[in-house]
Amino acid sequence: MSASGATTTVSSDAALDPEAEEARTGTPDPEVGADVSRRRWPRVLGALLTVALIATGGALYAEGRQLRDTPATANLALTDAEATTRVTGDVSSALSKVFSYGPGATAGTRAAAERVLAGKALQQYATLFGQVERQSADQKLTLTTEVVRAGVTRLTDDSAHLLVFLDQVYERRGRTPTTASAQLTVTAELRDGRWWIVEIGST
Amino acid sequence: MERRRTATVNTESGGTTGTRNPLLLAALALVVCAAGAAGWGGWQRYEASHDDAASFAQARDDALAAGEQAVQNMNTLDHKALEQGLDSWEQSTTGDLHRQLVDGRDDFARQIAEAKTVSTAKVLSGAVTELDQRAGRAGVMVALRVTVTAPEGEPAVKESRLLGTLTRTAGGWKLSALGQAPVGSTAG
Repeated sequence: MSASGATTTVSSDAALDPEAEEARTGTPDPEVGADVSRRRWPRVLGALLTVALIATGGALYAEGRQLRDTPATANLALTDAEATTRVTGDVSSALSKVFSYGPGATAGTRAAAERVLAGKALQQYATLFGQVERQSADQKLTLTTEVVRAGVTRLTDDSAHLLVFLDQVYERRGRTPTTASAQLTVTAELRDGRWWIVEIGST
Repeated sequence: MERRRTATVNTESGGTTGTRNPLLLAALALVVCAAGAAGWGGWQRYEASHDDAASFAQARDDALAAGEQAVQNMNTLDHKALEQGLDSWEQSTTGDLHRQLVDGRDDFARQIAEAKTVSTAKVLSGAVTELDQRAGRAGVMVALRVTVTAPEGEPAVKESRLLGTLTRTAGGWKLSALGQAPVGSTAG
């Protein structure tokens, strides 16, 4: 604090405070400056403390957010065990249904597909299934699909990506069945409380 | 002199109740609020570092990354860099699988050196199917494309589906079991 500053403060104080008037007449200037600063330091300290506390709180909160909101926590696969089990189950049973058919029973499979497939997956399936229906009738072909293992790669509240290992058994009447293994990536969406397959891709 | 002192006392007490107190109260309230904010921030920070879901999610992603890398390592081998390749196999594994690799290393190295094959692998997709954080155990499934090039003929490309078990070690997650997903075992 400069000397002129101290003088100004004292004179303005004196106008309001009789005690200061007494001080101006009775005590020398330096001590008044000391007195004023002694009255100020709790305010300065308080302000500093306030700022420091708010800054600390903010920094800790930000750090906490950073720890909690990571790309890892945004993915609910396995962390939400119930949802993970549910989407795995829904998708597995849907795949077994839509990729299993026998001669003369393709209509049922087609109807099932419309209840579990949507969007792009349904379009892909309709294209594919036209050929399958003809083949199945001509060659007496039966296809049975079983899910060997399904895992969730990414899960949010209403969408999921899965990796599925399938076994497909083809049976032509009068021949030994052949088994083919396949792996698919599946995108599913939760609509009206049910998981719908919206996209099927080969890995 | 005495009159003056009385006047001074009066002014001071008047000042305390009239102007200084509301400010002081406000300042105190501000400090208390700030302390509250700091405390709340600290609590959030503490909660976050003790958040089981967050550490579980991190463990899952760590296990998958390690699993995919290990599976890729285990399907990559160049006969010109055999020792290096087999070292990476051993570094990717632990437990029984590791022991088998160490025991069979010399025989295997001889076979590959004779066949002069080069295998490269690319992970197509992978998922963690189970995770037991406490036991330090995880199950992964990985779809892989393996290309094997022999000195003669076209490279053979094969897609394989693998199931692996990972065990957490001091050096991170390592494969303790690895095999092809069984074919035909579930078809009735």
